[in-house]
Amino acid sequence: MPGPDLLSSQGLRLDGRRPNELRRIRCKLGVFTQPDGSAYLEQGNTKVLAAVYGPHQASKSKTSTEGVVVNCQYSMATFSTGERKNRPRGDRKSQEMSLHLRQSFTAAIKTELYPRSQIDIYIEVLQADGGAYCASVNAGTLALIDAGIPLKAYVCACTASMAWQGSEPEPLVDVGHVEEAAGGVCLTVSSLPSTGNVALLELSHKLHMDYYDMVMSRAMQGCRDIEVILDRAVREHLAEGWTKQDTITI
Amino acid sequence: MTGHVSIRLASERVNHSVATSNELPRFYTPGEVISGMQDFMRGHGTYTEDDNLKSSVAGVMQKVNKLICIRPLKSRYVGEIGDVVVGRVLEVQQRRWKVDTNSRLDSILQLSSVNLPGGELRRRSVEDEQSMRKVLQEGDLISAEVQSVFSDGSLSLHTRSLKYGKLVQGTLVKVFPSLIKRRKNHFHNILGISIIIGNNGYIWISPREKESTENDDLENIEKAKLEPVSISIREIMARVKNCIAALVASKMMLDDTSILMAYEESLKYETAKEMLDPEAMLDIAFLTQHRLNYVTTE
Amino acid sequence: MAGSLISQSEQVFIVHGVENDFRSDGRSSIDYRPMELETDVVSHASGSARLRLANTDILVGVKTEIDVPKPETPGLGKIEFFVDCSANATPEFEGRGGEQLANTISSTMQRAYYSPQAFNLKQLCIFEGKQCWKLYVDILILECGGNLCDAVSLAVKAALFNTRLPCVKAALMDGGNIDLQLSDDPYDSKQLDIGTAPLLVTLCKIGTKCVVDPSAEEERCSVISLVVGVTGNPNFYQTDDNVIPDIKCKCSTISMNGPGSLSPKTLKSAIEQGITAANCLDNALGDALLREKDEISYLKKHSYGFLK
Repeated sequence: MPGPDLLSSQGLRLDGRRPNELRRIRCKLGVFTQPDGSAYLEQGNTKVLAAVYGPHQASKSKTSTEGVVVNCQYSMATFSTGERKNRPRGDRKSQEMSLHLRQSFTAAIKTELYPRSQIDIYIEVLQADGGAYCASVNAGTLALIDAGIPLKAYVCACTASMAWQGSEPEPLVDVGHVEEAAGGVCLTVSSLPSTGNVALLELSHKLHMDYYDMVMSRAMQGCRDIEVILDRAVREHLAEGWTKQDTITI
Repeated sequence: MTGHVSIRLASERVNHSVATSNELPRFYTPGEVISGMQDFMRGHGTYTEDDNLKSSVAGVMQKVNKLICIRPLKSRYVGEIGDVVVGRVLEVQQRRWKVDTNSRLDSILQLSSVNLPGGELRRRSVEDEQSMRKVLQEGDLISAEVQSVFSDGSLSLHTRSLKYGKLVQGTLVKVFPSLIKRRKNHFHNILGISIIIGNNGYIWISPREKESTENDDLENIEKAKLEPVSISIREIMARVKNCIAALVASKMMLDDTSILMAYEESLKYETAKEMLDPEAMLDIAFLTQHRLNYVTTE
Repeated sequence: MAGSLISQSEQVFIVHGVENDFRSDGRSSIDYRPMELETDVVSHASGSARLRLANTDILVGVKTEIDVPKPETPGLGKIEFFVDCSANATPEFEGRGGEQLANTISSTMQRAYYSPQAFNLKQLCIFEGKQCWKLYVDILILECGGNLCDAVSLAVKAALFNTRLPCVKAALMDGGNIDLQLSDDPYDSKQLDIGTAPLLVTLCKIGTKCVVDPSAEEERCSVISLVVGVTGNPNFYQTDDNVIPDIKCKCSTISMNGPGSLSPKTLKSAIEQGITAANCLDNALGDALLREKDEISYLKKHSYGFLK
């Protein structure tokens, strides 16, 4: 299968990373004061803001007695891409993204706890440089944690692709914009790494079933790596915001 | 005559965290196993899976006998019976009001749970039902107590005491409920003004109410409530408001002691508006923290 | 939404405060809340800025494109404003909820920049009648804490100050076609002349008086607000002591929002109040931008963005 040349002869990728190396992730919780929870996340040059409102009383049309209603909106700033976007949202792609985000977050949120309530998760992509969905899921998770909403576990998303190192197949983790644009497969996985469950899986382009396991495990490993980074950020945030208070109040 | 304008750069941003000398507690994050043993009771912020007790939020553990809870840094208000809250009326419905208390569901104030004008306890007539808007209308602020918690978690409030009821002139400050220190008393008459620190994170700052003489009729009382507030009282109120903002920016707990201390520290700033400056906010929070540490070590 | 309600007695308190020139956070009627500015925050844009005014958070990105000038104005470039109210600011903006507000702000900005004395479009011309630059000024509202217009105009001016246009050589070829040669060197670029770019000042009429920089609560008490666009003073944006004769500030737009009305006398004094305030803002903005420029020339630019 002659794919595009994504690996150099030294085994390095187009942006100089090793095949199993994530882009640099930097993040911060609680960037805004008005929402119940908010977070900012940078994954390489992809930058995403997430805000969470709720849980609050669900609007009458949406209310459900079984569990919380999760409402997501994915929006991209008009200056976020190389070529200017005309509309920040409302197009097919962002509607699809909103649905996919909802799928990932509903898998993680303990929805059964909050009947008749609603949680709004708003994602704003400030800069898109590949893997915008993953960055959105990761930022959204942090915002949910910041809002104190009960989750089963962290939900993390990661992409993986595949390239040829000579005649050996080599899976690539955390696909960047250049690699995305070069074509080739792109497997997006959103999972709860601590339980090992997969919340969402999407595959673009063709991938031979023989290589599926390899690419999939690389993506899952990426999710686990991301979880470690997010967990560290959450702990730092807790340590910073922690003030001495009498712990026992009951 | 020019106003005050200040634009600082991001590189000059003030870090609001005030270092506390005490050790950090053990933190738990979502999905983390707290304990594998079965002889614990599952409280808020936890769940069980595969015989393990796991955390569902990021925060610290609270243990009361066998009950284990994880309390997050911040969340919506979770009401408990007897809590003092400040709320805003959202909707007038049949025989009840819907009130926003920063909980995850709107709270309810029954017509039967308020003192109607005149004060005496009496049967609620049809006329009362029709004139509910005269008592409280949309947008009005009230102080109330949590009477009971419904099975779905929504709160039922009551104002059946003279200290509760409609709030008139003043300003509302909204903070995260977790920053409110639970105290016996949440009504404070300090500094010549009155402060209600609602357990739900809504803080009401108002001028102290004048004692009404008995022969005043109802109309006069209503009128007196809307009289202009003097500048000196306004100055104190603005200071207190900015003090609370300073403490919140540094994520410090709020109660009458910390607010009073912050207020005293703020007196070195001549005007209340100087306290809007980030450096002044940090300074006030820092000095307050220092004094609080001193008090606790004494 | 709970956030948009306010009780009558709270309004009374705010109105009396404004009448005594002592607002609920201690400010007088002409004071602004503290602001924070950072430029060059979005790498996909030619220029960008983020401005935070108390709780109001604005991000502006300027993108450039080569376009054909309008036949009636062959020597001028184009500038277009687009405002997006992000749902991050408030759930009310979800979907198309913020569109009306966004349109109001973008059209006010468009009008304020329309006059050649406010923003000279000639500097965007590449080849008269054939090619010109088109600037897309995209404004993203991330958090609302009152006084959006002022914050937007400040952020836009900062972003335009930060904008670099690549140098282009244009030559007329046979057959009337234009051959464009873009410089390969990313540092070979020109800055825009934005000294006179206008700032908007909102004057919120509360009771009988007008205040600048209304907080969200104060905006709710006001029946009418006046937005004044005032051109800037290029001297504030100059490092060297080139003496440019002080240009008197001019109003480039005036608009009124809200159901109330103003008497001609209050209107006149409000406009004057607005011009004074705008001059102050302009001075502070120029100062901040020059300080940031200084800082970058000393040490490598450190981007703070939302991380710090």
